[in-house]
Amino acid sequence: MVDEFTQTLLGIMVAVIMLGMGASLTPRDFYLALRRPYGLAIGVVSQYGIMPLLGFLLALMLSVPETIAVGILIMACMPGGTTSNIFTYFSKGNLALSVLMTVTSTVFGVILIPLILLLYAAALDLEIPREDIIKVLIVLLVPVAIGMTLRKLNPNAGAVMEFLGSILGAFFIVFIAVTWVPQNWQFLLNTTAATYVAAIGLGVVGITIGYFFATSLKLHPRNARTVALETGIQNGPLAIAIVVFTFPPEQQQAIMAVPALYSLFIVMTSTLVTFVFRRANTAAEQKLPDGLL
Amino acid sequence: MVHADRPWQAFYGPNVRPDIGTSSYRNLPELIRSVAETYKSGKAFTCCLPNGMNGTLTFAQVDEMSDALAVYLREVAGLSAGDHVAVQMPNSLSFPVAAFGVFKAGCVLVNVNPLYTADEMAKQFEDAEPHALIIADMFADKVPAATRGHPIPNVIVTRVAEFLPVLPRGIVGLVQKYWDRSVKPVETAHVRLPEALKAGRNRIASDHVEVGAYHQSIGHDDLAVLQYTGGTTGVAKGAMLTHGNLILNMEQAMELLAGDLEKGGEVVLTALPLYHIFAFTVNMLAFYWLGARNILIPNPRPLSNVKRAFENYKITWMSGVNTLFNALCNEVWFTDSPPKHLKFAGAGGMALQSSVAERWREVTGTEVVQGYGLTETSPVLTFEPHGKAREGTIGIPVPSTDVACFAEDGTKLAIGETGEIGARGPQIMKGYWKKPDETEKVMNGDYFLTGDIGYMDSDGYIRIVDRKKDMVVVSGFNVYPNEVEDVLAAHPGITEAAVIGVPDAASGEAVKAFIVKGDDSLTVEQVRAYCKEHLTNYKVPKQVEFRDELPKSNVGKILRKDLRAEQTAQIAAE
Repeated sequence: MVDEFTQTLLGIMVAVIMLGMGASLTPRDFYLALRRPYGLAIGVVSQYGIMPLLGFLLALMLSVPETIAVGILIMACMPGGTTSNIFTYFSKGNLALSVLMTVTSTVFGVILIPLILLLYAAALDLEIPREDIIKVLIVLLVPVAIGMTLRKLNPNAGAVMEFLGSILGAFFIVFIAVTWVPQNWQFLLNTTAATYVAAIGLGVVGITIGYFFATSLKLHPRNARTVALETGIQNGPLAIAIVVFTFPPEQQQAIMAVPALYSLFIVMTSTLVTFVFRRANTAAEQKLPDGLL
Repeated sequence: MVHADRPWQAFYGPNVRPDIGTSSYRNLPELIRSVAETYKSGKAFTCCLPNGMNGTLTFAQVDEMSDALAVYLREVAGLSAGDHVAVQMPNSLSFPVAAFGVFKAGCVLVNVNPLYTADEMAKQFEDAEPHALIIADMFADKVPAATRGHPIPNVIVTRVAEFLPVLPRGIVGLVQKYWDRSVKPVETAHVRLPEALKAGRNRIASDHVEVGAYHQSIGHDDLAVLQYTGGTTGVAKGAMLTHGNLILNMEQAMELLAGDLEKGGEVVLTALPLYHIFAFTVNMLAFYWLGARNILIPNPRPLSNVKRAFENYKITWMSGVNTLFNALCNEVWFTDSPPKHLKFAGAGGMALQSSVAERWREVTGTEVVQGYGLTETSPVLTFEPHGKAREGTIGIPVPSTDVACFAEDGTKLAIGETGEIGARGPQIMKGYWKKPDETEKVMNGDYFLTGDIGYMDSDGYIRIVDRKKDMVVVSGFNVYPNEVEDVLAAHPGITEAAVIGVPDAASGEAVKAFIVKGDDSLTVEQVRAYCKEHLTNYKVPKQVEFRDELPKSNVGKILRKDLRAEQTAQIAAE
C-alpha cells in the first residue's frame, strides 16, 4: 500500500519538518512557557483533552469500521502540527504561542498520546501498538533538538531550515494529494460519508471548540484565535508516519484514510478561518507610525 | 574648572573634555579608513531580517566595498567631486557601503526617505539635483515618475538582502518577488550594486586608481550630506552638513556617552532608519567609530520583526524614539525576557515621556538617556549624562556646545528665563541648500535657533516647554500642549494623546485633546475629571475627541499642525 521508497521519503520529510520546528525555537522559549504556564496549560488541555474526546465521540457516534475508528482516534490524539504555525503566521496570530503549543504538545505527546490512545481504544475495544508509537515519537524529538542546536550555532542555517520546514509542511499535503489519492481512488469512492464527516468534522469542530474554550477562560482574543487554530490543526504528517511505521501493511490503507483526508481538508478549512482571523488580528495589532521603516 | 556661563560642565564625567577641540580626522573617508585599519576583521554591520536570516560585513569589507563604489562613481559613472548622490533605502548592508562610497568619491550624500511618494521624491530631487541615485529595488518603481523632467543619469539598484549569504539571499529574493510581491520590475535603466562594485574593482586593478586622491583635498568645511528636513514646519529644506559637522558631532556625542562603552565591544540595535539624521550620525558613524557592531533592522514594523535580533545577538546599546520604547514595553516577548546585556539606551527624535522612561527602567533595569537635537545640528546638541538623567529635561549640552535661550526680539536671556532655545558649536549646519533667506531666519549671530521654547535649570539641565508655534493661550494664560499630553499619556486608559489650541468665544483659545483610547470604556467626563486632578483649570482640555489614530511624521512625531489644519478647515466649513 505504501512502498518502501515512499516510506523513506515520508520519514525524511517529517524529519525536515521537525528540524525546521526546532530551528524556530530557543531555550528561552521554554523558559518563558514555564513562566506563563496558563496559556500553555490551556493548549495541552485542548490538545489532549478536547480533541481526543471529540475523536472518541465521532468514532462512537458515526458508524464506521474499526480500522477507520482507529484512524480517527490517532488523528485526534496528534499534537499540533507545523501547519498550524504557518496558518497562525498568516493570520497574524501569536506565533510564539503557536510554536510553543506545538512543541509542548509534541513533547508531552511522547507520554500522553499512547496513554490517551490506549484509554479510548480500550473503551472502543481497539488494538493499538503502544511501544511502536512511543518509539516514533521519541525519534521525532531528535530532529527538533538538532534544529535548535543548528539555530544556536548559525542563525542563517536555522532560518533556512525553518523556512524549508514550513514549505515542506505545505508540500507534504500536495505530496499526499498526488501520490496517495490517485492510488487509492477506488478506496476513496467506496469510503462512506461517515468517514468524510469524521475527517472534516475533527478540524472544523476542533477549531470552534478551541476558540470558545480559550475565550471562556478569558484569554486575550489574539491568543484565543491562536489556540483555536492550534487545537483544530493536528500534525497530519505525524499521524500518517505513525500509521505507516507501526501498523501492518494490510491495515494501513483503511487506518490512513482519516489522517489523509483530514490533512487534505484541514488546509481548506484553515484557509477560510485564517481569512477571518487575519482581519481580527490586524485590527488588534500595535500600530507603529508609518515612517519607522 | 567650570565656566560660569557653562554650569553644566560640572556634570561631565572626569574623562570628559569640556572642549573637544578639533578632530584628528580631516574628513569622513579618512575616519572610515582609519577605523577599518584598527578593527579589520571585526564585525561592523549585520543585517537581521524578521526570520533571523542575516548577513555581516566586517570593517575591512565595508572599507573595500566602499572603495570600489567610489571608483565606480568617479571612473565609470563619470561623477565629479562635489556631485550629489541620492541614497534611498531601508536599513541594510548596502546603506553603509553606499554612504561611505559616496563620501570616498568626494561626492555629497543626499538621504532620501524610501517611503516617500513619487511626488515627494520629485520635489527633493528637483531641489538637490543628484547625479546618481542608489535605491533599493522595493522602491525603484517610483523612479520614472519621480525623475520625469529631472532625469538622474545614473541609477544603481540594490536590495534589502544584499550581501547576505547566497541561500538566504535567494530565499528572500524569491519571497519578495513571488510571495509578497514587494519587489516590482525595475523599469529604469540601471546597474545592480554588486555589478557596480565589480566594475569599480576592475578599474582599481587595471588602472591602479588611488581612491585617496578623490578626497585628499576635502576638509572640515566641505559639504558631506544634504539632509532634508522641515516636514513638521512646512517647506522641505536641505540642511548642508559638512564633514566637520558630522565628525565633530559624532565625537561630541561619544565624549559624553562613551565613558560606559567599550571600544570594539558593543553590539548596537539599529531599528531606527539610517536615512534619518539620528541613526545616521549616532549609530552608523559614532558607533562605527567606536568599533561597535551595528545590527541593522530593515523594517521594525510589526515590532515582532526585531524579536529575532534580540534573541540572536547580545544587544548592549540601542537607540530609539519614544514610540519604539513604548511599543517594546507593550510586547509580551520583550517584557518577559528583556535584553540581558543592555547597558543603556539613547532616545531622541521626540520628547521621551517620563511614564515611558519609567516603564523602560522597570522592564529592562537600565536607563534611557534622552538626547536632543535637530537635523540642522547634525543632530546632537544635548544628552542626559548616563546615570545622571533628570526627569523632564533633555540633559546638558554636549562638549564644545553652548546653549542659551533667546527672547522674541533676539536678545539673549539669563539662565532660568524661558525663551527660544539657541545653540552654537561645530555641529551647526552651513545653512540650507539654495535657501539663504531660510538660513537667515534661523540664525541669530552664530547661534542657531531651534524653534523650541525652553529654559535652563540653574545648573545647566535644559527643559523644553514647547515648540514655538504650538503654545495655546487661554484667557492670557500660556498652556504648553506637551505638559497636558504628558498628563494624558500617564492615564492607564489612554494610548496616545495630542493637544492643540482651538478658537473659543469665551477664552480666545481653548485646549482641545485628541485621544487614542487604550480602554474602550473611557468617557470624556472621566478624562476631564482626571485632568482636573493633575492640572490647573485653564490647562484642562475643554474639548475631548476620541480618535482611532493620530497623524504622525515619519519618525513618529505627532503632527499637531495637521490636527490644527483639520480644525481650521472644519470651522471654515461651518
